[in-house]
Amino acid sequence: MDPFLAEIEQTIARWHGIAAPNDPAQRMAADLAETIRAFEAQRGALAFEDEPASFEAALRQTMER
Amino acid sequence: MTDLADLSLVEAAEAVRSGDVRSVELLDAIWANLDAANPKLNATIWLDREGAEAAARAADQAVRDGATQDGAPLGPLHGVPMAHKDMYYQAGKLSTCGSAVRQDWRPAVTATVIERLAAAGAYTFGGLNMAEFAQNPTGHNKTFGDCHNPWNLPFITGGSSSGSGVSVAARYNYMALGSDTGGSIRLPASACGVTGIKPTQTRVSRYGVMPLSFTCDNVGPLCRTARDCARVMRVIAGRDPRDPTSADVPVPDYEAALDGDLRGLRIGVPGNWFFDGADDAVAAAVDLATDVLEARGAVVQEIDLPLMDAIAACGGIVSRVEGATIHAQWMRDRPQAYGAHISGRMYPAYAIPATYYVEALSRRGPILQAFADEVFSKVDVLATPTIRTNLPTLAETDIDHGPAGTEHRFLAVSANTRPFNYLGLPAVSVPCGFDPNGCPIGLQIAGRPFAEARILRVADAYQRDTDWHRRRPPVLDAVTADGAVAA
Repeated sequence: MDPFLAEIEQTIARWHGIAAPNDPAQRMAADLAETIRAFEAQRGALAFEDEPASFEAALRQTMER
Repeated sequence: MTDLADLSLVEAAEAVRSGDVRSVELLDAIWANLDAANPKLNATIWLDREGAEAAARAADQAVRDGATQDGAPLGPLHGVPMAHKDMYYQAGKLSTCGSAVRQDWRPAVTATVIERLAAAGAYTFGGLNMAEFAQNPTGHNKTFGDCHNPWNLPFITGGSSSGSGVSVAARYNYMALGSDTGGSIRLPASACGVTGIKPTQTRVSRYGVMPLSFTCDNVGPLCRTARDCARVMRVIAGRDPRDPTSADVPVPDYEAALDGDLRGLRIGVPGNWFFDGADDAVAAAVDLATDVLEARGAVVQEIDLPLMDAIAACGGIVSRVEGATIHAQWMRDRPQAYGAHISGRMYPAYAIPATYYVEALSRRGPILQAFADEVFSKVDVLATPTIRTNLPTLAETDIDHGPAGTEHRFLAVSANTRPFNYLGLPAVSVPCGFDPNGCPIGLQIAGRPFAEARILRVADAYQRDTDWHRRRPPVLDAVTADGAVAA
């Protein structure tokens, strides 16, 4: 088994007690590498806010008037 | 005489209120098309014929009396039969959520939106097929069977509100509630050739509605026309004390905004993301659609959208983690009760770190602010394809039985709808043409938060000059004399 997939399966089993239910689950678990890559690619692109940020407040600030 | 099932929701409601048509006649028209076409399309999970017929008779009596039994005036949806995605709770009635897990489940509460529709005079005749737990963009369902596209049966209906799109398109429903976490109203609207709106996040109460992702779930209607959507939105939108996440923002008269006037409206057509890998027929249909809007006085311009990679990365984290969290106990206890396309998608989300989830959630407000500041300083609305490719078939997207790689085709269906869920922006899909397989193409119009009136005005203006939304799917033309549908 691919070491990345094996690690993912162990992590899920350890933390959640859930086993891969089928082949698609294993295939899509392997695709997590792409999820991580996409997320990591954002590092530095956006500053993490020190101040509290509210989505609901942003909705109101940008709303149609 | 016009087939009563061909009436739009607003036309049907006005016909009943004026006494020109009885509610029982609308219901008969629904049953006729349902009985003929539904065996091929599989859009329903349960029906309450007896209850609906009693409600229709009561509605007709109220018209004769000029008021309901309680003495209330007739509402804006008086006497209109409708059925909804089977995840809108009605106390004591079946609510399967399209799943084996809840196959026999009957909730103790009624959804606020169902109560509001009833207060407006509508009544419910059944529960509609849907993706299992609202978790796929195609219309596959392991437990209740796949939904089929009324324009071309082997093709997907879009999901997860599959039965909602199909029943409205096939003229056996005047309006169906759908839910939209990643496109689940707009995708079936696009694939089935009807009109559907995902409202601004927080615009409509979610009390009594099965959750998928607390952050990205939305309630909205699928109808024949933008005007229908406007009428329904006026009824269901607004603050609900039972849903503390619902916004306390005044609800405008959406129908009053439908004046057909687009003079000076700035429409942005994205130069990035939304047309990446688009099929020619889809791109051409959207191009022609913007020509129609331009002829009404809109100013169409290309615009590069900021932060799309960040929106995709963060949005994918949030909804997946929340869905997996809700289903964790059932995934431990009875994973085989799920279709593989559901459990297979949820499974990896259990490995996503909490720090990713919190970061994706924390960035949502700042990303919306930055996106809106940049985009809506240049344009008033965005126009994109709802689905950027020709529709795939059910077989091509069948993860449960297809080869490795099927999941990528499956997930690509919602590439153009998901961004607006993370951003929380309202977006409507209207039919704007057909692909080479005869399946509908959708035009997606998105706007600022709480700009439902504006995007519906654009959609309505488009429908004044086009007839895509009036066309009947061929499955109805194939109804034979004995009421069956020819193959």
